[in-house]
Amino acid sequence: MFSRRRFLATSAAATLLPSAARAVGAPMPIFDAHIHFSHDAAERHSVEEAVAIFERAGLKRALVSSSGDAGTRALYAAAPDLVLPSLRPYRRRGEISRWVDDPSVIDFLEDRLKRFRWVAVGEFHLFAGQMEKAVARRMIELAREHNLLLHAHSDTGAVDGIFAQWPDARVLWAHAGFDGPDIVGPMLEKHPNLWTDLAFRSEHAHGGRVDDDWRSLFAAFPDRIMVGTDTFTPERWHYVVEHAGWTREWLRDLPPDLAEKIAWRNGEAMIRPHLAQLR
Amino acid sequence: MPEGNWRKGIGGRELAELGAPISHCQMTDIVKLFAVAFCIQIILGALPAGAVDFTAAEQRKILRHGPWPPPAPPDPSNRVSGAPAAAAFGRVLFFDTRLSVSGAISCATCHRPETGWTDGLARSRGQRAVDRNALSLFNLRFNRWFGWDGAQDTLWAQNLRPLLDAREMGIGAAGAARLVRADRSLSCGYRRAFGAAPGADDERVFVDLGKALAAFLETLVTGRTPFDDFRDALARNDAAGQARYPAAAKRGLRLFVGRGNCAFCHFGPAFANGEFADAGVAHFAGSGRADPGRFGGIRKLRKSPYTLLGRFNDDPARTTAVKTRHVRLAHSNFGEFRVPGLRNAALTAPYMHAGSLKTLADVVRHYSTLDEERLHAGGERILRRLDLSAREQADLVAFLESLTEAEPRRDGGIDTEVPPCR
Repeated sequence: MFSRRRFLATSAAATLLPSAARAVGAPMPIFDAHIHFSHDAAERHSVEEAVAIFERAGLKRALVSSSGDAGTRALYAAAPDLVLPSLRPYRRRGEISRWVDDPSVIDFLEDRLKRFRWVAVGEFHLFAGQMEKAVARRMIELAREHNLLLHAHSDTGAVDGIFAQWPDARVLWAHAGFDGPDIVGPMLEKHPNLWTDLAFRSEHAHGGRVDDDWRSLFAAFPDRIMVGTDTFTPERWHYVVEHAGWTREWLRDLPPDLAEKIAWRNGEAMIRPHLAQLR
Repeated sequence: MPEGNWRKGIGGRELAELGAPISHCQMTDIVKLFAVAFCIQIILGALPAGAVDFTAAEQRKILRHGPWPPPAPPDPSNRVSGAPAAAAFGRVLFFDTRLSVSGAISCATCHRPETGWTDGLARSRGQRAVDRNALSLFNLRFNRWFGWDGAQDTLWAQNLRPLLDAREMGIGAAGAARLVRADRSLSCGYRRAFGAAPGADDERVFVDLGKALAAFLETLVTGRTPFDDFRDALARNDAAGQARYPAAAKRGLRLFVGRGNCAFCHFGPAFANGEFADAGVAHFAGSGRADPGRFGGIRKLRKSPYTLLGRFNDDPARTTAVKTRHVRLAHSNFGEFRVPGLRNAALTAPYMHAGSLKTLADVVRHYSTLDEERLHAGGERILRRLDLSAREQADLVAFLESLTEAEPRRDGGIDTEVPPCR
C-alpha cells in the first residue's frame, strides 16, 4: 500500500521537480474537488477503505461533502491532510430539491458551523429563481461570516445571484454548470473569484485528446479550472481511481504546466485562503 | 392512419360500445367544428368509468411501437446470417454441453426456451456464478449492442463471450475449434453451414461458431401480441379491433407513452432504444466491487478482436461499423446498462441487470418510487419519480403483460427443416 505519508512526501517532492521529470516517475497528483461520502456510502465503505481509495487514485487533496454530515467528519478525522471538509446543507438523501424551502436547514448549518471547522459550504443545488429564498440567502451569509468557499451546483443565473449578494464570495462552480466553453468562459471572465470543476463532464476530452474549444478555455483561464469525480452514489467510490486515470490521460494532451494546474495546483490555490478555518 | 379524422381522439371501444353517431360526425365544412365538439361532448359525457380516449399525440406515439414484426434484413457482418443450414447448425451448438470446459454447461443452461430463454435466476450460474442476470434471447436481431454492457457490437461476437468466459462455458477458441473438427456430426454441420470443412485456424473456426449461433438466434423473433392487434387497429381506425384491447392495458399504455415517459427509452417496435441508461438500480457486484456497466463494456469493446472493426467482419464495406467507430466513453457510462426490449417481458423474470426485481409489478414500483438522487442531477433528466397510484401501477403491469405473445414458442425450434448431419 502506498501510504498517505509517503504519498504526501512524494507529492511535495514532485512540486520541486520539473514536469517532465515527474512524468517519468510518480503519477500526477490530483486535487479532487468533488467527492461525497454520504450516509449510504459510509454504510458501504469504511473510512479506511475510503482513504485507501484516495491513495490508490493518487489524490493530493479531496474536497469532501456528504448528505448526512457524519461521513465527511469521519473522513476528515482519519485523513486531515488529505480531506478538505465541506458542509453540505443536506442531512440525508432526498433534500437536493427541497432544502431551499426548509428553514430547519439553517439550524442544521448553524449548529454544524459552531461545532466543527470547515473550508467550504456545499455542494448545494441552487438555481436562478431561488436566490431570494431566505434559506439560500442565510446560507450565503453564513459562508461570509465564516470565510467559506461556496461549492455551487448552479446555473449561470444562480452564480450571478451569489455574487450579487456577496461580491467578494469565492465560488467553485460544480460541473462548469453543465455548460460549454462559450458560456463558461464569459462567466470566468465576469467573476474573478469563480473557479469551476469538471466533475461528471466528459465532452472536454475523448480518447486522451482535448477538444479544441475546451483547450482554448483552459489556456484562457489556466488558474481557474480543476477536476472532480463526484461520488454521488456509493458505487461511484469504485470510480475514483478510474477517474483519476482518465484525468491524467487527457491532461497529458496539455502543456505540462497547464496540466499540473488543472490537476492540483488550481485547487490548492483556491482553497489556501480557507485553510485557516481549519486551525 | 387518417390523421384528419376527428375520431382519432376517442377510443374505438367507447365508440363501438356507445354506438356513437359516427356517420353524422363525418361531415366536412366549418359546421364540422361545432358538430365535432357536440359529438365529443355527448360521447365523453357518457363514457364508462375507466374508458380511455387517446389524443392525437398519444396515438402518434403508440403507432411508433409497430408494426410488428419489422423488416429483418440479414446481418452483413455475418456471411451465414439468414442461412437455414447455419441456423440449424447453430441450434445444435446452442444445446451442446460439450462447448463448456466441464462438458456440463450449454448455452441453454442459462437460456432455457421453456422459461423465455432465461434461467429464472437473479444472477446466472455457468461454471460459476456471474454478476448479471441472463438476458432473454427474444428479438436479439434488432439490437444495436449486445449484453447488459454492450461489450459486443454483433450477435455473433456476443455468442463468443460465454465460450471465452471461464465463469460461463470457458472452452476457449482452441477447445471449441478442436471439438468441431473432431466430432463428425459437428464437422458436418459446419460444412453445410459454411460450405467447407473447418480449417486449421482455430480462431476462424471459433468465430464461425458464433456466426452459426447468431443465425439460429436471429430466428427467435416474438410473435404478435394483444398490443400489436390494438396498435394495428388504431392504425386502420378499426373501432371493433381497438375495443378488444382491455381497458386496463389502455390506461397503462397511456401512462407508458405519457406521464411515465417510459417510451423515451423503451422506444419503437421492439420497445428498446438500443442504448444504455442508469435506471437508478444499485450496481454493486459483490463485496468490494461495483459493476461498471456500459463503462466497462466500451472498454472491452475497444480491446476486443471480435468487433465490426476487426478482421472477422464479413462485410468488406463495414456498412454497420459506424456505431463502433464513433462510440465514446463518458463518466456517465459508469453504472449504465442496456435498455432491454419489453416484448415477452412477462416471461423473463426476474428483471434488471442483476435480477434485483422479481416481478413486473416490482419494476413498475421501482420507477414509481425512484430515488432520484441515485441519478445525477446534471444535464437533462429523463427519469422522474412517478408516484403512481396502486391502480396506475396495476394498469402499467396490464399493459406490459399485453406485450406477451399469445402462444410463445417454448421448444427452441426453428421453422426451416434441414436434414440432420450423420
